[in-house]
Amino acid sequence: MSEENKSSPASTEPTATRSTVPMWILVVTLVLLFLGFVFFDRHSGWFDARVYSPYASAEQLDAYQPKTGAAAARAQGKKVYESVCGICHGVDGLGKPGQAPPLAGSEWVNAKGVSRLAHIPLAGANGLISVEGKDWNMNMAAMGAALPDADLAAVLTYIRSSWGNKAGEVTADDVKSVRASMGGHPQPMNGEQMMKMPE
Amino acid sequence: MKNGFAVFFAVCVALGGSWTGFVLAPALQLGTAKQTTILNSSDNWPLQRTGEATLGLQVYRANGCAACHTEQVRQDGVAFEVVLTGAGKINPVAVSNLVSTLKLSGLTKDEADAATVKITAIGGKVETHLAATGADIARGWGVRRSVAADFLYDVPVQLGGVRVGPDLSNIGVRAPDANWQLVHLYAPRAIAKNSAMPPFKFLFQVRKIGASPSPDALNLPQEFAPADGYEVVPKPAAKELAAYLLSLRADAPLYEAPFTPITAKP
Repeated sequence: MSEENKSSPASTEPTATRSTVPMWILVVTLVLLFLGFVFFDRHSGWFDARVYSPYASAEQLDAYQPKTGAAAARAQGKKVYESVCGICHGVDGLGKPGQAPPLAGSEWVNAKGVSRLAHIPLAGANGLISVEGKDWNMNMAAMGAALPDADLAAVLTYIRSSWGNKAGEVTADDVKSVRASMGGHPQPMNGEQMMKMPE
Repeated sequence: MKNGFAVFFAVCVALGGSWTGFVLAPALQLGTAKQTTILNSSDNWPLQRTGEATLGLQVYRANGCAACHTEQVRQDGVAFEVVLTGAGKINPVAVSNLVSTLKLSGLTKDEADAATVKITAIGGKVETHLAATGADIARGWGVRRSVAADFLYDVPVQLGGVRVGPDLSNIGVRAPDANWQLVHLYAPRAIAKNSAMPPFKFLFQVRKIGASPSPDALNLPQEFAPADGYEVVPKPAAKELAAYLLSLRADAPLYEAPFTPITAKP
């Protein structure tokens, strides 16, 4: 209030004038907004319903999921086997006469390498195939072609370590390389043709 | 009114803003929550409570249990543990020497990954176990934090906000005996000497023993037992409340709150 206003009682009412917002307020506001959004981005999980503290984002939560051990892979293999393969090959791996050869004790399942074994679910099998000294003339669709590598690997590991079979583990990388080696149009083969493949 | 429209507009913005924040946003975020499955398992979570336990929730609510008890376990962080599952065939001695020099529990994720790389590089096989950490978990109140899925079938959800008594989200695992629950409701000090919990004696009936004692009669210590020839039996509400308490369990690992169950340890 200036000296002039004090002396005249009629003009003691303060009057608001228009002036621009000081630039520093704008700058501070924008900096605070920016920092606020950075904090939000780092800590909110972007409102994802599954992200809770102490996890900051869906990616972090995903990365922190417990590494699945051998037991978990076996459980997954059993689950997939029983829903996909077990219908014909049987949950006991003994197969069905006239329909599907046994997997328990089969030389195809217990082979040292896995490329022939992995080829069967990936491409199917058609024609004569000899299993445990017995000829089977059968037609199997490419039941495993649509399975993810990890699931198919888990199934193959499961059948190679169940019902008395004691062959080695099959990794997702094994399945991936067999899948890659087959090319775009894999053909189902019979036993004789498969024997010409590398083991 | 001079600025009628502006005031009306401001009221709309204020009410609309809080409605959006408190009603719409949570409904969009959690309103479509469905039953999920336990981590690495095909078992469903959560399971619908039994009829008796569902009635017990209303007894819990009517008696104001949530005024002193919470049903929410907090979690501050996670701790990794690297567990050797096989020394491998390449150089088992080197693996066991390396393992004895490394710190393998209470690790961060980066430390656990680094230890895993070191051990697997020389042929060892490891599993990484994950555990929740925090003050509530150190007290034994739970094994992981509470998440929205745990409350899917609760109407209304009894979260509670004050902890005069302990957290109850996992009480069905911590005290799985219905008789313990009933004795504790009838005479809390029969179980915890200095308990601040009021006795809920009106949920029980003290009656003369008939031709033979009731199988439901509480087995009370001398100090709290009724006079000779009398017995304490729970009314239906007490049985329902005990069934509800036994149904409170948050012991399964979920995607949103992962941990490695202790039973998985070799």
